[in-house]
Amino acid sequence: MRKKDLFLARRLTGRYASLWVSVLAILLMLVTASILLLLIGKDPLAAFRSFLQGCGMIPKAKYGGGSGQLTDLMDFLNYLAPMILASLAFITAFRAGLFNIGISGQMLLAGFTATVIVGYNKALSAAVAKPLVLLIGLAVGGLTGVLIGFLKYRFNIHEVVSTIMLNYIISYLTGFLINSNYVDMMTRNSKVCTPEARLTLTNVMIGGLKCKIPLSLVLAILIALLVSFLFRKTVLGFEIKAVGMNRRCSEYTGIRVSRTILLSMGFSGAIAGLAGVAYYMGYTNSIIPKALPGMGYDSISVALLGSGAPIGSIFAAVIVSLFQQGANYMSSSIGVAKEIASLITGILLLFAACGNYMKYLAERRIQQAADTMQPSPAPGEQEDKEVKAL
Amino acid sequence: MNDCIVELRHITKRFPGIIANDDVSIGIRKGEVYALLGENGAGKSTLMSILFGIYEPDQGEILVDGKPVTFHSSTDAAACGIGMVHQHFKLVEPFTIAENIVLGVEPKEKKLGVLPWVNMQKANRQISELSRAYGLEVNPTDRIMDVPVSVRQRVEILKMLYRGAEIMIFDEPTAVLTPQEIDFLLQIIDNLRRDGKTIILITHKIAEIMRIADRCAILRQGRLIGVREVAGASAQELADLMVGRQVQFTQEKTPPQYREPVLEVQHLTVKNEHKYDVVRDVSFTIRGGEIFAIAGVSGNGQGEIADAVAGLVKAASGKVLLNGKDMTGSPVRERTLAGMSYIPEDRLATGTIPDMTLQDNLALREYFRPPFARKGILNQDAFRSYAEKLIGTYDIRCAQGPDTVIRSMSGGNQQKAIVGREIEEQTNLIIFVQPTRGLDIGAIENIHRQILQERERGAAILLISLELDEIMSLADTIGVLYRGEMLKIEAADRLSTQEVGRYMMGVKEA
Repeated sequence: MRKKDLFLARRLTGRYASLWVSVLAILLMLVTASILLLLIGKDPLAAFRSFLQGCGMIPKAKYGGGSGQLTDLMDFLNYLAPMILASLAFITAFRAGLFNIGISGQMLLAGFTATVIVGYNKALSAAVAKPLVLLIGLAVGGLTGVLIGFLKYRFNIHEVVSTIMLNYIISYLTGFLINSNYVDMMTRNSKVCTPEARLTLTNVMIGGLKCKIPLSLVLAILIALLVSFLFRKTVLGFEIKAVGMNRRCSEYTGIRVSRTILLSMGFSGAIAGLAGVAYYMGYTNSIIPKALPGMGYDSISVALLGSGAPIGSIFAAVIVSLFQQGANYMSSSIGVAKEIASLITGILLLFAACGNYMKYLAERRIQQAADTMQPSPAPGEQEDKEVKAL
Repeated sequence: MNDCIVELRHITKRFPGIIANDDVSIGIRKGEVYALLGENGAGKSTLMSILFGIYEPDQGEILVDGKPVTFHSSTDAAACGIGMVHQHFKLVEPFTIAENIVLGVEPKEKKLGVLPWVNMQKANRQISELSRAYGLEVNPTDRIMDVPVSVRQRVEILKMLYRGAEIMIFDEPTAVLTPQEIDFLLQIIDNLRRDGKTIILITHKIAEIMRIADRCAILRQGRLIGVREVAGASAQELADLMVGRQVQFTQEKTPPQYREPVLEVQHLTVKNEHKYDVVRDVSFTIRGGEIFAIAGVSGNGQGEIADAVAGLVKAASGKVLLNGKDMTGSPVRERTLAGMSYIPEDRLATGTIPDMTLQDNLALREYFRPPFARKGILNQDAFRSYAEKLIGTYDIRCAQGPDTVIRSMSGGNQQKAIVGREIEEQTNLIIFVQPTRGLDIGAIENIHRQILQERERGAAILLISLELDEIMSLADTIGVLYRGEMLKIEAADRLSTQEVGRYMMGVKEA
């Protein structure tokens, strides 16, 4: 009886505590979302099924000509790639103790610059254009990040403030430039990029189905592995973590703190820049003027749900993307406004952010259980028993 | 035991893995100063947290005025007239002294019969009167963030008095004070006793107990070892009871054998962020094999000298030479590689990264070079074997070995880890700032022995301490700092404690 009771508490304090917190956050989110759907008179199971169907995870009842489950799955992956990159951007700064909420702005600026320079240049071949897009994304995002880091250490401007301000500047500046030079009169968006520059291959026929192939997904997984390697294996990663956890001790140790802040903010911005080109020159093929991508903010949920781990965030990105990308189909099939996807993401963020509180509750629960065990064994024996129970 | 105002009977409190209090029974008489003596982790603070309602005991009962009581929170305890001054003060920094004192029990009135309103003028007046009555002079309208630590402590005492506390618990009240401030506090405690208040003093400083306490309970590893009338006990007896073995108060020191000069500080001036000179034109030299101690009342520029030598703050003018090489403008890493170690004052804020593991913290001076890292890639095996070696050499107690998170370790073991990490570098210069602050006797003994060992090895040692006893027993040369100026530099055997004390107060010719 007691063992069963303590199952969750043991998991939440054990070695894989972070993983269990995420699992619990997802379960709690599902329960909360179900209650919400029941309240508006919809069947939660049907809703969750349609989210999965919209992402090509399970087959729909019927498909239009030339499309099928694989089409939906590839669309989903096309959305997933920039989402992974954006959350990796957040993590890289977060580990240095910096809260980069300007990922949206960095994505937009990088996407816009690459679109204008490469996307509209019809002379470039795919072999030149695609790498050039990535380079521009890296450089523009990276420089923006370095600027934020510079403002922080030189003028002591908090990165949250400077990134919010930069988000506005970037959003209106690019909006102004698009509306005055690059607007498509029909869609009111920016003109589309050339297929040579686009990071997603479109209209590829696989088994008679028209599919998109997101090349940026390979990039996203590669970057995740790189970031993971940076923090687990390298001197620089160690220094970034040290600065994030105790800046004063890092100075005392001899770490060049300002350089570390500049670098981690630069990395963060550079990865956000990649997310930007993967989003604007892959997932979409044009830019809506004066609109920041919501993905930049969703990436914070993803990073928290993945408990700041680069590989964990790939899985977290899958969860969040399922709702965001599946929302359209869900909306049309069961008639719930697609904004519910953002609501669900918000609920998920809330539960994921409660992770430490969950761990605390679990610790207290275990302690209470230990207290009530009478007569109490010596501390050493007690520990042995717990190990066996696990 | 009918004359007891507070009785704790058979109190047992367990935390995961340890028994903090094991069947402890004590009775405290009205109007006495009752000391709880014990090393760090002996269970003193836990026992008092139980009395103050912060923890509930697993077993046992609490009697106040002979009646059994159950405390679910500190509010319940306060209602029974129990107050506590915590080691870390609980004050709202931007609020005034008076606002902090009345917080939660504000003198409320109704303006025009309906509008609730706090009469701060009245509160200010009451607090002025209260502070004069007990000799705890404070200005009620000063903000907490503008007043020094000693005044903050007075505010905490006034907070208890304002709430009408009869039983006052002081948790290590002298840990943050200078010698003069300690004298003052002990005087206040004496006044409170004369006024009929009951005082419980948690401490591990035996000298204070001898001076002020009536009775003393000794705790060791959660158990009550004994209760002594202080008048009939000796300091040696109390120390032996506390530690559980014979304690040696003074260290054996060999005659000095000086070598080449290692650290030369020439006309050093350091400014703080307000462009004010906190260190003024200070010069001194430390030779190998010499312990140079800087004495002074807290906040006279000692910390800034250490930080300037270590490269954490910039020198406004003057020079710092290490092994004859000018290091004035060099970054920290260049200095440590040239042969400097530094044990800083604040273990958690500066000396360690508390949320990292012991293994990572022990490698903080080494992680960037072979065998810990090659071409920017870390070698975890080197981290682990180095940590295991240091844990053994310096007897660092840690629950999960190299993977223990520093924050979860006791203060004494955190300090062992820092001292071990720095000494292991075998540098020519070692800076110790307040190396024994907040440590128990066993740990202090241990660190003093290590300082002397390094001296014998031939290292130059800069020791900065607020404990005059520590300076007198270890130093070869003493420099006394007053308002950023070095008033006197003299061989330690040519200065008496009284003379050093006078220089510390700013008297130029003692």
